[in-house]
Amino acid sequence: MPSATAQDTGTPSARRAHWSVRLAEFLDAHAGRPPRDKTERLAWARAFHAELQETGLAAPGWPTEAGGMGLDLADQIAYHQQMTAVRAPKHPCGLSFIVAPTLIKHGTAEQKKRFLRPLLRADEFWCQGFSEPDAGSDLTSLTTRAERAGDEYIVNGQKLWTTMAHLADWMFALIRTGPAGPGGAGISYLLIPMKSRGITVRPLKDISGGTHFSEVYFDDVRVPVENLVGEEHGGWAIARTSLGHERATAFLSDEFRFRRVVNELHRLAKTSGAANDPLVRQDLARIEASVRVLASNSRRALDAVLQGRDPGPAASVNRLVRAEFDQRLHEVALRVLGPDAVLGQREPTAPEGGRWTYGYLMSRSSTIGAGTAEIQRNTIAERVLGLPSGRKQA
Amino acid sequence: MSAVSDRNDGHEELRKAVRAFLKNASPSSEVRRLMATAEGYDPEVWRRLADELGLVGLIVPERFGGAGAGAAELAVVMAEMGRTLLCSPYLSSAVLAPAVLLESGDEAACAALLPGIADGSALATLAVAEDNADIRDFDAIRTTARADGDRHLLHGTKERVSDGCTAGLLLTVARTDKGLSLFAAEPEGAEREPLPVLDPTRKLARVGFDGTPARLIGAEGAAAAVLGRALDLGTVALAAEQTGGAERCLELSVEYAKTREQFGRPIGAFQAIKHKCAELLHEVESAKAAAQDAARLWSDPTTGEQGLAASVAGAYCSEAYVHAAAETIQIHGGIGFTWEHDAHLYLRRARSSALLLGSTSWHLERVAEDIGLVPTA
Repeated sequence: MPSATAQDTGTPSARRAHWSVRLAEFLDAHAGRPPRDKTERLAWARAFHAELQETGLAAPGWPTEAGGMGLDLADQIAYHQQMTAVRAPKHPCGLSFIVAPTLIKHGTAEQKKRFLRPLLRADEFWCQGFSEPDAGSDLTSLTTRAERAGDEYIVNGQKLWTTMAHLADWMFALIRTGPAGPGGAGISYLLIPMKSRGITVRPLKDISGGTHFSEVYFDDVRVPVENLVGEEHGGWAIARTSLGHERATAFLSDEFRFRRVVNELHRLAKTSGAANDPLVRQDLARIEASVRVLASNSRRALDAVLQGRDPGPAASVNRLVRAEFDQRLHEVALRVLGPDAVLGQREPTAPEGGRWTYGYLMSRSSTIGAGTAEIQRNTIAERVLGLPSGRKQA
Repeated sequence: MSAVSDRNDGHEELRKAVRAFLKNASPSSEVRRLMATAEGYDPEVWRRLADELGLVGLIVPERFGGAGAGAAELAVVMAEMGRTLLCSPYLSSAVLAPAVLLESGDEAACAALLPGIADGSALATLAVAEDNADIRDFDAIRTTARADGDRHLLHGTKERVSDGCTAGLLLTVARTDKGLSLFAAEPEGAEREPLPVLDPTRKLARVGFDGTPARLIGAEGAAAAVLGRALDLGTVALAAEQTGGAERCLELSVEYAKTREQFGRPIGAFQAIKHKCAELLHEVESAKAAAQDAARLWSDPTTGEQGLAASVAGAYCSEAYVHAAAETIQIHGGIGFTWEHDAHLYLRRARSSALLLGSTSWHLERVAEDIGLVPTA
């Protein structure tokens, strides 16, 4: 447990050592091999996070009044390292951590009290209702609308590509409450119970043949006005709220995962003999170089934040870099597999249960979901480099 | 010099000082004047780099008359030099030569040679590569050294020696019965020939030895490891220089994209240009991170990953710079293809640097080897 002992030295806060020791104890008692069965595995992850919350060891970066640990950035990094080292189960609903910052910063006291605890415990799952059939990259053109009727909104329309919709208890949604205008005018941020009458969820098969996202239809769905977050028509500005250093730390778990996956690929290349092919070896070396450059890049951003400086451009390119790395990694993985790369997951002799071909297919979404690579490049070019906007002036 | 907590403030000061100096000392007009000369550098600028800024002896320990700085400081300086394409023997005389002397562990040679190198009065270089072989391919070295009393006599030809014609001291490697060994030779006993090169901002020479007298440096037969380490530090420094050049290319491109108008709007409003610029930013930022990390690790021998990090930076920064320079020409269109525009100078420097201290393929193979992917049989 090196991270805990490292923190004991030279820190003013006894609480620091306290949390890492407690976390180590918790992980000793709770981490283990995940169950093979999918349903059991989900239950196992939920139980883990419920107990983590119970023990006060969830949400390292959230303020304590929101039920988090209120750790500073250095401690958050140590926390993530400690969790990753034992391969603790990920929170089963990553989308929850998109709505949470918005609730913490813009929610009412009642909303925070009602939602944050079950969210952390994974007792309730969330899905994100942003994209629509005619509002993808151009999200502000969304048309799913809510009309006020007394102390309720009546919602009609359709959301699309809604990940986890079939499992979610709640949706945080951007809904049109007023006329469209510049800067996302007329859009409100609503919390909608997925069990509401009038909601139809139609799962869509994705590229892998699995069901990760759905279409969601709203037909006169009644949502209490108290489920509005922030001001009416003021939803756009709060939709992408983040907490302090979240953007700097969000990458850490990705990074640890990439490091692990690359190591696994190296192992496969060695045992299968694929590494003997000098061309495959050059590809593998490029992947190794990339995963290291990726780590250097985040370290640079983190260093800056730790020293109280702006993380600068390094942080803004991070997401793009990662998305494209994920794709290259899996392309190389298929080269490493050789002809067996054509085998599907259900073929018993498929290398490593078909995980690489599955990962290859799934990696195509990394440059689309949550903002396409093209939109990200536009954003980087305009916000970081100051190039003029190419959008139609409204 | 490895203190992490305060390094940024100190580096920022250093960066500012070097940038301010080079703004006057190495504008495009000077680069163009010097690249047309045989010497390829301005002795007055070199003197000021040594005396006023103390940069020539940057990595030379204080006991040998230098500043005793580390790779991180060296990287800051090289990045600034790369930005302006400074024409100078800095890489050969202030990096490679002192690095190889220090790595040799030959205290007497260091005491005799380093003070002159550090104060800029002596120019030294490192001559390694032969024929058309990669500088890292030590098996290709055929130059021999035969003992002759208390000295050796060298026979062979070294290719692509940085600043080989201007150096007053030639550090080189040759084979003896005991294997690869490091030697110091006076240029008077060698045949030196300037090479017309792709990148005229860095002078290269062919150096022929035909019974050239030389002194053995360090232990006989022990040069391979010494040379490898020196070239690795050179790679770390060069990677930083490459990031500086790449960053400057990005700035030139973005500036042009904001001002050049076609179809009634700045070309930077078009996604085709915007995406190129965003891509360059990503590569430049990643290259900086890789170069800084390699420099940071160089001063931290506990990781055992210095060579690996140097090669990661070497491979990544080489490609990033070439790409940035090539895209700078593309973004500028016709004007970018002219002699008058500096874009080609960056492309020349980038493409040439990508081969100078080991090709990208060599660096990648080294990465593969260090992570255990190369079959041992």
